Amino acid sequence: MLETRSLSKSFGPIQVTRNVSLKLEKGERRVILGPNGAGKTTLFNQLVGELRPDSGTIHLDGADVTALRVADRARRGLSRSYQKNTLFDGLTIAENLGLAAAVALGKGQGLWSDPLQSAEVRETVRDVAAQVDLAPHLDARVDAVSYGIRRQLEVGIALATRPKVILMDEPTSGVGPEMSKGFHRLLKALPRDLTILIIEHDMDLAFDVADTITVLNYGEVVFDGLPEAARGSSLLKDIYLGAWEDA
Amino acid sequence: MFTHTPLRLATLALLAAAALTYAAVAGFFGLEILAEIAILAILVIALDLVAGFGGMVSLCHGALLGVGAYAFTVAANDAGLTALPAMILAIALSTALAFVIGAVCARSTGIYFIMATLAFGQMAYSFVFQSPLYGGDDGLSGAPRPDLSALGIDLTDSRAFALYALLLVALAYAVAAATLRSGLGRSLVGLHHNEKRLRALGLTVWRAKATAFAISGALAGLAGCLAAQHTQYVSPGLLSWTVSGEALVVVILGGLGTLVGPILGAVLFVILKHEISALTPYWHAIVGLILIAVVMSRANGVFGFLETRLAARKPQPQVKEAKADA
Ligand SMILES: Nc1ncnc2c1ncn2[C@@H]1O[C@H](COP(=O)(O)OP(=O)(O)OP(=O)(O)O)[C@@H](O)[C@H]1O
Ligand SMILES: [Mg+2]
Repeated sequence: MLETRSLSKSFGPIQVTRNVSLKLEKGERRVILGPNGAGKTTLFNQLVGELRPDSGTIHLDGADVTALRVADRARRGLSRSYQKNTLFDGLTIAENLGLAAAVALGKGQGLWSDPLQSAEVRETVRDVAAQVDLAPHLDARVDAVSYGIRRQLEVGIALATRPKVILMDEPTSGVGPEMSKGFHRLLKALPRDLTILIIEHDMDLAFDVADTITVLNYGEVVFDGLPEAARGSSLLKDIYLGAWEDA
Repeated sequence: MFTHTPLRLATLALLAAAALTYAAVAGFFGLEILAEIAILAILVIALDLVAGFGGMVSLCHGALLGVGAYAFTVAANDAGLTALPAMILAIALSTALAFVIGAVCARSTGIYFIMATLAFGQMAYSFVFQSPLYGGDDGLSGAPRPDLSALGIDLTDSRAFALYALLLVALAYAVAAATLRSGLGRSLVGLHHNEKRLRALGLTVWRAKATAFAISGALAGLAGCLAAQHTQYVSPGLLSWTVSGEALVVVILGGLGTLVGPILGAVLFVILKHEISALTPYWHAIVGLILIAVVMSRANGVFGFLETRLAARKPQPQVKEAKADA
């Protein structure tokens, strides 16, 4: 569904992505682990097209999308959430989700009707709100709800495009352990055919949702395999006990 | 997102009633002032659409108005078109020009966007000013008023013309409000809040900005046609950046991003201008002081002040938890 072949990217002398080759099958849930600064977010930026790789290719659903712009990749069913909230602050939660759905449905340039009133968009808003537990807050303005709810909206906006592949960048960063666990329950309830790539710092939670695990260290894939194998890997323990500790 | 709150609807109804009443009773000078308000109101509706809702602060709206006014005059005088086709042609030209400006400036935001629009505006100004075809400094006269004698309406009569101008304000408002409720309008507001996210969601940002700017340009062109018909004379001063600046002052005075507010602003501005300039030649300074007071009050213009005042009287929804965005 989503595949990279020897993706590389440098910022000046620092190589932040080294020959990264990844492959996600349809419906696969892959968790990316790695210490701060390992290049996880930078990898996401390249996958969605916000950053150009220096070399390597990205394939989405069989097609080479390496040269496509952000919006074009989004229209092909790739969606992401951000590590730092990237919301429409002055709007309500329903409007945030509705806008995302409207744009994804190609109604973002229409002149003759209000997409927020369309049955399709309203249905998407309702469904996504249920998926990420936002239903009680739909009419609240984003700047009037708690950080945890904004964090859920961050993922909700990405889901509202009805993507084939969704990338989530530390969706539970900054929220408490309870909310974090709750979020993982929501994650597991998402449709099984949705392909998910998720960056997660918490190992236990990561193992909880992952079909497969990728570990990045200094921009390089140092582990790619099943969670059970990752758990036993001494390499992972080294990173985990080393640089990871202060994460 | 744009909505018609009860306060907005009430204000619109009040403005319409006041304008119609005034149009019925006013003498010649009053009717001239009414037409002047109408022209400014259309221009500020156009500007609020992109600046207030889309965050695209433009300093070329005067030029778009001027291009409409000149195109109308030239089309009627030299191409021999009657007023209606000349208007359509003029508005089409303003629309196309605005689309190009919007498309080119779409990449820039904030101060750079303002400067880029200013540059376009100045280019249009100097083109009209320098070209021997358009009368240079002297401008052009002879712009016709539409001939509605078939309907029994004589637009050379200032009362009829004022009513016609008010009708065009209503039309401009309807176009702007419909745009804001369309998919494009929703995206426009979204762009103002978070352009990066909308792009990530799949929006072709430049096209949305350019289309919104084009619709705004169409309304500015309409204001230009009306201005040409009103005075039946056009001069390069219409394209001057100070016209754009004045429109921006009126939008801020009335209330950015409220659509109703700027109309109120236009009413206040024109009345103040005439009242104060009768007393002192320094009326610009007085208007400046008022603008400073409005900006310092931290309210969103006169209308924003009314809106927050009214909202404060209603029970506030409980703010849930403390904000903790990292
Ligand atoms: N635009 C940029 N220009 C220069 N360096 C950058 C840029 N973006 C990221 N970097 C650097 O690239 C490295 C990888 O950053 P990245 O944000 O991808 O890490 P990460 O794995 O997401 O870390 P974290 O867990 O802290 O989010 C870091 O050293 C960072 O400073
Ligand atoms: Mg990161």
